[in-house]
Amino acid sequence: MSEKKSIVFLCNCGNNISDFMELDALSQWAANREDVLLVERHNLLCSPDGRKHFQEVLQEHDAERVIIGACSPKMHEKTFQTLAEELGINISTIHMANIREQCGWVTADKKDATEKAKELIRGAIQRSGLAEDLERRTMEVNTDVLIIGGGIAGIETALCLARAGRKTYIVERDIAIGGFIIKTEEVAPNMECSPCVLAPRLSEINDSKNIEVITNAEVKSVIGFFGNFTAAIHQKARAVEDSCIGCEACFEVCPVDVESRFHHGLGTHKAIHTLFPGSVPAAAAIDKNRCRHYTDGSCIACAEICPFGSVNFEQKDREREIQVGSVVIATGFDVIDPSSNPNLGYKTMEDVYTLSEFERIASSNGPYGGDIRMKNGRSPDRIAVIHCTDVMFEKNGSPSCTPLMNMIALKVGEYVHKKIPGAEVFNVHAGMVMAGPKETAYLNKIRDKHTRLIECTDMTTVTLKQDDRIVMQGAGLEPIEVDMVVLATSMKPSEGTAALAELLHLELDENGYILPDHELLHQTGSSLDGIYIAGCAVGPCNMGTAVTRGHAAAGDILSKLVPGRHIELEIMTSVIDEKVCIGCKMCISVCPYKAVNYDEQKHICQVNEVICRGCGTCTATCPSGASKARHFTDDQIYAEIGGILHE
Amino acid sequence: MSDYKPKIIAFVCNWCSYAGADKAGGKKLVYAPNVKLIRVMCSGRVDPQFAMEAFRKGADGVMVLGCHPGDCHYRSGNIKAFNRFSIFQRMLAQFGIEKERFKLDWVGAGEGERFQITANEMTETIKRLGPLSIRGFVESEVA
Amino acid sequence: MTHKPKVAFYWCASCGGCEETVVDLAEKVLDVVAKVDIVFWPCAMDFKYKDVETMKDGEIAVAFINGAIRTGEQDHVAKLLRKKSGMIISFGSCSTHGGVPALANLTSRKKIFASSYHHSPTVENPEGIEPMQTSQVNGHELILPEFYETVRKLSDIVDVDYYMTGCPPTSDNLAEAVGVILSGNLPPKGTVLSPNKALCGDCIRNETKPDNMVVERIRRPIDIILDSETCFLQQGVICMGPATRTGCGALCIDGNMPCTGCYGPTDNARDQGAKMIAALGGILSENREMETNEILERLTDPAGTFYRYTLAASKLGSVRKEE
Repeated sequence: MSEKKSIVFLCNCGNNISDFMELDALSQWAANREDVLLVERHNLLCSPDGRKHFQEVLQEHDAERVIIGACSPKMHEKTFQTLAEELGINISTIHMANIREQCGWVTADKKDATEKAKELIRGAIQRSGLAEDLERRTMEVNTDVLIIGGGIAGIETALCLARAGRKTYIVERDIAIGGFIIKTEEVAPNMECSPCVLAPRLSEINDSKNIEVITNAEVKSVIGFFGNFTAAIHQKARAVEDSCIGCEACFEVCPVDVESRFHHGLGTHKAIHTLFPGSVPAAAAIDKNRCRHYTDGSCIACAEICPFGSVNFEQKDREREIQVGSVVIATGFDVIDPSSNPNLGYKTMEDVYTLSEFERIASSNGPYGGDIRMKNGRSPDRIAVIHCTDVMFEKNGSPSCTPLMNMIALKVGEYVHKKIPGAEVFNVHAGMVMAGPKETAYLNKIRDKHTRLIECTDMTTVTLKQDDRIVMQGAGLEPIEVDMVVLATSMKPSEGTAALAELLHLELDENGYILPDHELLHQTGSSLDGIYIAGCAVGPCNMGTAVTRGHAAAGDILSKLVPGRHIELEIMTSVIDEKVCIGCKMCISVCPYKAVNYDEQKHICQVNEVICRGCGTCTATCPSGASKARHFTDDQIYAEIGGILHE
Repeated sequence: MSDYKPKIIAFVCNWCSYAGADKAGGKKLVYAPNVKLIRVMCSGRVDPQFAMEAFRKGADGVMVLGCHPGDCHYRSGNIKAFNRFSIFQRMLAQFGIEKERFKLDWVGAGEGERFQITANEMTETIKRLGPLSIRGFVESEVA
Repeated sequence: MTHKPKVAFYWCASCGGCEETVVDLAEKVLDVVAKVDIVFWPCAMDFKYKDVETMKDGEIAVAFINGAIRTGEQDHVAKLLRKKSGMIISFGSCSTHGGVPALANLTSRKKIFASSYHHSPTVENPEGIEPMQTSQVNGHELILPEFYETVRKLSDIVDVDYYMTGCPPTSDNLAEAVGVILSGNLPPKGTVLSPNKALCGDCIRNETKPDNMVVERIRRPIDIILDSETCFLQQGVICMGPATRTGCGALCIDGNMPCTGCYGPTDNARDQGAKMIAALGGILSENREMETNEILERLTDPAGTFYRYTLAASKLGSVRKEE
């Protein structure tokens, strides 16, 4: 310690420090130290004159360490590091002793403050002696985008980004994209044909070189940060190769009927199937739980008839890793299951359906080809639509209540009117609130014409009874006999939302949707920078809003992930000594960013320094002492402890 | 005993507690001068060895201060610190070191007053307990 | 008589297990004896301290000393051997880190005497006699070695050339060490003659560790039926493996018992107990629904768990003595 290696700068900070301690005595003390080469006092070291002086002193003297007794490092550490860097001096040389905020300003007695300042400077000198060079690193941002969910929001986000030249991946857990909207006949209030809206978009996706659709797949992990994410994707084998064009020849020969997910179980498809004709991707998929090749090995009919040789029973699940700059979550919604309320007869009475099931029944691409009919094959004469069914599960109204459901529930009248002239529809509600003027206009258009609105004073009392017909009763209602009942159940976060949020470390709102960064200013950003939300993943919304949210997310991404732009990486990362580490994996468990990987070949753990943010938790954890936190090494901290406590 | 000045080392996280201490400074909230801070990036960086080293080198009290639960800049380093030092504190008693000589607490970036109170309370506690002298073979190394 | 190198074995505060290691060399001991002369081995042969005292300084090539330093006699002989030997090898956990005897540092001499000579249920001592360093017996002065207040590791008393750890070191370790010494191809002074790596690297259960290990609740081996394939930590049982130097061949793990840490820390880890606390704390459940006290309920003796063999080498060293 006898070598004079340190320059100590002491800053008066105007009189902000000099008034609070005996700086003359302090500078005398420092000058007398054996390890101090030079003490430089300055009136205001951060001023233009002070900065110039600082650089001049550094140029004149060849100091191994520079200690600055001044304000908090949170104020000016970067300032002085940058000044040193300009002279080609490594930033690790600069150490600040906080003798203002944490000494002079908080100590009553000037003598006490002076003594404390000595200890803090001593700690800084000791610590600085063990400093190792730090390297500034940057990386170019990755401008590619991962979109989770292939509904209309995901589709529109992808198109928007792809048109701007961005590589985009859509990961969809079903075998084809399209989401809820492809299962809808017409979109209210303008009653647009939704497959017609979707078709050109699907074909644009199909043709786009910038969009890769990964179906039958789920995201397993996302690590990294804005501009640099790595996503692991598990893609299940569909047993049909991409060469399949969806000609459906195999459907004729497949002997197995499976309840159709696409039709909410109301129809069937074959064990080898597509989601709908013209789907993207076009390729069929085999339901391995039902296909006889897998259950008893008795059938290969589809493989035999396929004109393209596309059936491949040996196809394996695929693990993929993709690098992207940001992620958009467009996982949509699910529909609340009303069977928990036995009064509503759902699943126990014939011809009681949810709104989304009715949508399938009424759809021309539905199980009955758009023919609205009952289980016995007859057309219903009288249909009841029960609004606000969610209220029946929760006394004080459901958090998922939205006027959106009123709009969709009113469509039933129009569908029925078109298809079964003369049939009657009753919409039972507890006060009809519409979302806006267009919706109100729609209500006015169809009320009394296609449907009768019947107000119920307490929706929780609504009960259905099976008689010759279904008898509906409730507070304030004359009993109504109907043939069919449609339950307007509301939306809930799609299955897997919570798991996905946990995977990505995102916060959820009180209803289980992904919490926006800011409800007003950044609704399509999540609580994590670089992870966006679109469509109903933010909360229930209509198709227009879902699309707009997708466009908003895409716009924000385009404004931030500009090709060629660089991001500065963390300097003070942790690093693992390969010679000492034996791969006990403790660091992997504690890393909040999953920045540590286990190298299967070398049997050791390694820090991905692009992802590491430098918290040092892994270093504290490492039971072998193999991990080192740069600039906050064990030795530096021991030295600082020693410096503060002892001469 | 009245002029006894305990030595207290506080390991503080860069984002919350160090900033909280700076805040106390900005507001000129005077507290006992014997509390000295050592900055680390996260309270999760604090190895129990650091606290032991401080005791061994003559500290009478040691604090680890981090972000409030849920506020950790690195998600949950503070909870890891809490778990670690819960074990550590149980063990201290076996070494005859009063558990009050170690304190883990949360100080947010804006909480200058809370920092002042925490520092003063710790000083009072240690004053009440008196100097810590670790005897045994460590003795010779401790001034 | 050929000029074979002279070797000494000595035991301080130890259980004798380290001596067993020498005996366990079995027929290999003949190879050793063929190459060296054993000139001092109180456990196995009749030697007097005088025999050593009359030797020239440095006459003994290598002295293997096991056991911690608890008494004045051990202190004296260790220093004597240091003087007479070219090389001192600290042999086993007790001499290297204090070992199990150093757990006595969690109490005091006063309390140990009170318990051993007064309060222990099997003690019959109506006159309250305690051993004295000097006492008169039938007109003769009887001198007993001093019983030290604190148990120390060998390196606190004398300069140590090489360390071997383990409770006890295996006879393979010993054969290997002897081989290295005889080869003359010596590592730098102060080296621990076992790989500077932790045990997990040699543990077949390491592969069963998930990337996100969480200990929901600490359990002792008596609390559950231990799975014979899964990492003990994953089962909630404290296994010191991650914080313990390898070299033992994972014998305890093979016997379906967790590592208790007898090979001490790796060079970089310094304080074994603190590092294990740091690692364990990192993977303890962050689920705040369970009280920390409940999670840690079965951690009844933290110091004894984390410093079973290394208390004399820990940063805190020993309990504060009340005086």
